[in-house]
Amino acid sequence: MNAWAAAALVLLAAAMPVCLWVAARGSAVRRLAGVCLLSTAVGAVFLVLPQAYQRSSYQDLALMLAVLSPAGTLVFTRFVVGHSYEHDSTGAHRHGSGSGSGSGV
Amino acid sequence: MTDSHVLWIEGRMMAGHVLVLVLLWAGVAFVLLSVVALARFGDTFLRLHALAPAACAGVPLIAAAVAADQGAGRAAVKTLLIGLLFAAGGTVTTIALGKASWQAERRERE
Repeated sequence: MNAWAAAALVLLAAAMPVCLWVAARGSAVRRLAGVCLLSTAVGAVFLVLPQAYQRSSYQDLALMLAVLSPAGTLVFTRFVVGHSYEHDSTGAHRHGSGSGSGSGV
Repeated sequence: MTDSHVLWIEGRMMAGHVLVLVLLWAGVAFVLLSVVALARFGDTFLRLHALAPAACAGVPLIAAAVAADQGAGRAAVKTLLIGLLFAAGGTVTTIALGKASWQAERRERE
């Protein structure tokens, strides 16, 4: 096991369970912090593993995750806020904040 | 090639390897710092602070380690771009999370 594989193992063993734990408990907004850090930790693992296995083409996964994970978190954030606004059932409040145009899915 | 040249080249390779290891484990330490902070902080807004070390220091340092290991070239530029994307994306998502947390807290007060 080289240093890259050891770093990936440390990230997988230490970071993933804690992030999953945070993402599984609390209110919807509080869970998003765990999801955000989880995507960052997975990105770090995807950066390290291609060096461990000497397969540089695997680094495209990290590139895709770097582009898609912020977009995914932003979509989740919008759905969470939109879902809460749907349950408010006050149209004026929904239009007043300027961020509740989503249907909440 | 004389012995001094060989020693100089070996010393330079060793220094590069040490630099890669220092960057790699510094990045891993920043990610673990974020994880510990996320587990310890209870407040929603404090948790937003916990996201910063991993996104803005941890992943870019790991990307710098990978780029230093790859050497000068297009692959290293791509790796550094990935680290930069993670730093920028983490900042943007933290801003969005802060806004969502603020709106959720305001609704709870009302």
